[in-house]
Amino acid sequence: MSGPGFAAPASIAELGDVLTAAPRPLRLIAGGTDVLVAGRALPASGTLVDLTRIAAMRGIAVDARYLRIGACTPVAALCREAQVRALLPALADAAAQCGSVQIRNRATIGGNIANAAPAADLVPVLHAAAATLRILTTGGTIADAPIGEYLPDASGAILDVVIPLDPAWNRSGFAKLGPRREVTIARLNIAICAGFDGTRFGKVRIFAGAVAPRPRRLARVEAALAGRALDAATLRAFADALADEVNEATRGRASNAYKRRAVIGVGMDALAKTVGMDCDAHPFAGFSP
Amino acid sequence: MNFVGRRVPLVDGAAKAAGRLTFVADMQGTESLHGALVFSPHAHARIVTVDAAEALALDGVLGVHWHANTPANHYNSSIWHIDQEALADERMFPEIARHIGDRVAAIVAETEEIARHAAALVRVEYEALAPVLTPSAALRRIGPATGAEGEPTFDNPVAEERFAFGDPEGGFAAASMIVEVDVSTPRSHHCAIETHACRAAPQPDGRILVSTPCQSVFAVQAVVAQALGVPADRFRVVKTPIGGSFGGKAEPILEPLCAHFAMVYGRPVSLRFNRSETFVSTRTRSSVTATMTLGLRRDGRITARQTDIVVDIGAYSTGGNYLPGSMLQRLVRLYDVPAELYRGRAVYTNTPPTGAFRGYGSPQIHTVAEIALDIAAGRLGIDPVRIRARNLVAPGAIEPRGGLDLGNARARDCLQRGADAFGWTARRAIGQGTGRWRKGVGVACATHINGCYPAEDEETTATLHLLADGRVQLILALHDLGCGADTTIAQIAAESLGVEPAAIDIVAADTDTCPYDLGTRASRMTYICGEAVRKASSALADRIRNDAVLDLNAAAGDLVLSSASVWRGDGASLALSDLAARLVRRGVDLPSATRTHRATANPGSYAAHFAAVEVDTWTGSVRVCDYVAAHDVGRAVNPMLVEGQIHGGIQIGIGYALYEDVAIDPRDGRMRGDSFSRYVLANAPEMPPMRVLLVEEGEPTGPYGAKAVGEIATIPVAAAVVNAVNHALGTELATLPLSQERILEALARRDIPAAAE
Repeated sequence: MSGPGFAAPASIAELGDVLTAAPRPLRLIAGGTDVLVAGRALPASGTLVDLTRIAAMRGIAVDARYLRIGACTPVAALCREAQVRALLPALADAAAQCGSVQIRNRATIGGNIANAAPAADLVPVLHAAAATLRILTTGGTIADAPIGEYLPDASGAILDVVIPLDPAWNRSGFAKLGPRREVTIARLNIAICAGFDGTRFGKVRIFAGAVAPRPRRLARVEAALAGRALDAATLRAFADALADEVNEATRGRASNAYKRRAVIGVGMDALAKTVGMDCDAHPFAGFSP
Repeated sequence: MNFVGRRVPLVDGAAKAAGRLTFVADMQGTESLHGALVFSPHAHARIVTVDAAEALALDGVLGVHWHANTPANHYNSSIWHIDQEALADERMFPEIARHIGDRVAAIVAETEEIARHAAALVRVEYEALAPVLTPSAALRRIGPATGAEGEPTFDNPVAEERFAFGDPEGGFAAASMIVEVDVSTPRSHHCAIETHACRAAPQPDGRILVSTPCQSVFAVQAVVAQALGVPADRFRVVKTPIGGSFGGKAEPILEPLCAHFAMVYGRPVSLRFNRSETFVSTRTRSSVTATMTLGLRRDGRITARQTDIVVDIGAYSTGGNYLPGSMLQRLVRLYDVPAELYRGRAVYTNTPPTGAFRGYGSPQIHTVAEIALDIAAGRLGIDPVRIRARNLVAPGAIEPRGGLDLGNARARDCLQRGADAFGWTARRAIGQGTGRWRKGVGVACATHINGCYPAEDEETTATLHLLADGRVQLILALHDLGCGADTTIAQIAAESLGVEPAAIDIVAADTDTCPYDLGTRASRMTYICGEAVRKASSALADRIRNDAVLDLNAAAGDLVLSSASVWRGDGASLALSDLAARLVRRGVDLPSATRTHRATANPGSYAAHFAAVEVDTWTGSVRVCDYVAAHDVGRAVNPMLVEGQIHGGIQIGIGYALYEDVAIDPRDGRMRGDSFSRYVLANAPEMPPMRVLLVEEGEPTGPYGAKAVGEIATIPVAAAVVNAVNHALGTELATLPLSQERILEALARRDIPAAAE
């Protein structure tokens, strides 16, 4: 029985050579928490490409305009780094709820994107934050692509995740619902990026995970918040739009009846975090869905 | 007491923590062959042909085995005696696959990797048959379970138990309220860390040594012999250290195949299941659908009870035919019910077989009864603790089914002390709150047996030897499943002998060297095996004192055993190792003692559990926030291990209430929860703070007053949690598990009351 070939490039230049010339199919591996799950067979041919020796693919950097995260940065670093927590708290929260401590220590942000699970926790946040991916293509060139245009199997290797920093988008929030609280696969997750001045929302971007193959933008939910004050009428419109859009997204599926109701709870949690309320203090408890 | 009642660490704990214990999966030498199985993708199908040409062409593949080339003996994997009569409906490889995951064929190869690769290349032709996938469909396929020649028909019911006691008609007529409740429980799975594994190796004398993490070496020997049609004395079975069982390894599954392959090839063979194979192709807990009707007086006294329960035992009988009777036996030991009607039926379905799982019917029947009683209390407007206090049995009660004395049954102490510790009255009165999160508290009681009495084989024999180095060897087929039975038993032996528990050398359970024992089942380790060891160690202590008379120049009655020495009243002493050396030099046999303990009673263990929950009414999520477990254990031989058992029991029970379900699709029989990504257990973050209260009033028939705790620890948990959720929401939910969907669906059917009750 033959297995795939193995390549372990030490630099981005070497990775470029592997991506252009190594025998197909290519299978990239970093933390291995998806690729090496027991019972999932490795391809019998092609090349397994180890990304862990490329130092330039790890680390978090911030300048005036961008938060840049190397694709092989472990998920644990995203919850640990004060800069991520300060600039994009939704990403730090999503990272903190991704798998277990052991998984977070191995899993990478690039892997979470490339594995493209519908329930991935980081990905809705990256969509809401309008992230761009810097990709080394299989042709050996470097290209930037908005995360919404990324195609997991065809695009090449993700090098960096680039998140624009704009004071007009000063708040973010993430909430997740699984069958249990920790080490759980999301049945629903919601990511919000918004401008919020303490009473009134500016622009808003909202994405839901685990309702469709890819994170789904909830435009009507965004409209329910954008430009509005945080009051009872806004909460009502927000909740109704959530139920409505998730109902549409999951129509015909067995989970529809549950998800269109439960999304209100998840959405309210994400909203509470976005506006800086403590979820353990039972925010919006007076609201009735 | 020097050792009984002490928090002695596990005797094998250090070896386990250091990775020095050899589990059976670690025993594969390079000479071992390996097997991999081919499983049925159909719930019910005739296996027409198996084409393994492509698999057999691979280097390293030795052979393929299926029904056409394997002994066709019918057997029952739950037997525990050689030649025991039982509904023999299993075969190593059946002609008709009866569930998705049934064994169709196996490949034997030089490595596990080759075997698994080859198994994937086997082509099977099936002729699909109509499956029976639900208990209600099963009840439409009625007929005797065996045909004219004793062959299995797979008709239903497999077993039916009917029982009437007192005057049910009069009891219901005298009731001020009659409450009828439907309850159903899920198929849950054991989820032991160690998956099923086994090794069989031909010995120089031509016999086959089967090494297996099992619950009874003698049961393995009996089942292997029946399956292979080979006399039992051709097999020696040795228990390996076990990485968890909970009943999942009570029935031999891989052992007959492994022994057969070892005989065919004359080489050692290892088999092991991966996680999804263990889910789909071993055992689950049987599920039940039940209707319980309670007649009650206004003060909460039960006047009559009627139970109709259908037990879905899956594709093969295993021990499932005992379940309707076992459930009745456990049901009638908790409350003093003056009139009882019971009908229990076990039915086959084309779903994975069921078997023992921590409580053997008790978790199901007590979950049914405790949820029903709580719903009745709610409708009657009586506090759940008060209604239980009004009906619980008292010490010395006689149960109505077998007329057995329930012993020093301290159910009421558990209820009262637990309620006090929990702060029941105040917490129940606080109210559920309003808005998104609702709070509730719930209680449930339970009882469980202590051993198999009055079954006449409920006995065991312990032998203790003083070894030449001063340690003491215990010969008794003990099967510690990881819960600390060896440590508990060693403490009992150490108590009379005055040696450290770690100085008790417990031999591995072995059919060649140990006398027959029923094995780890029926909560009998401490109560039955412990009493045999207490008697034998007391006898050995007498022998040692007698043997030391000469050396210490004192009467045996004036000698005391302590600190691994024999002591005279004036402080002179002789170490046991020195005594042993002197006896050896003098040519005197080293002292030993053998005692047989035959059970004379089957007292009840009792428990009352209290749970506080918070329910998110927007998502249906439940959080168990606080927990009190009060247990009548007679006497805790090792309080730390007792608490450990109870903590683990709560973990399994919370899963049973809220998450755990292998979720067999009623349309095609496919198991949806066949991996840890889809079968959800309560993990550490879900565990509430747990307080354990031990009621230690002593059971006169148990060793040093001890009774069982292993199984009962999980029995009341699910009902306590469900009752708390129903209290929080003002609902009468009774279909387990209480998934987020079920809770939201119930809340959507009606508006949540602003403040329930």
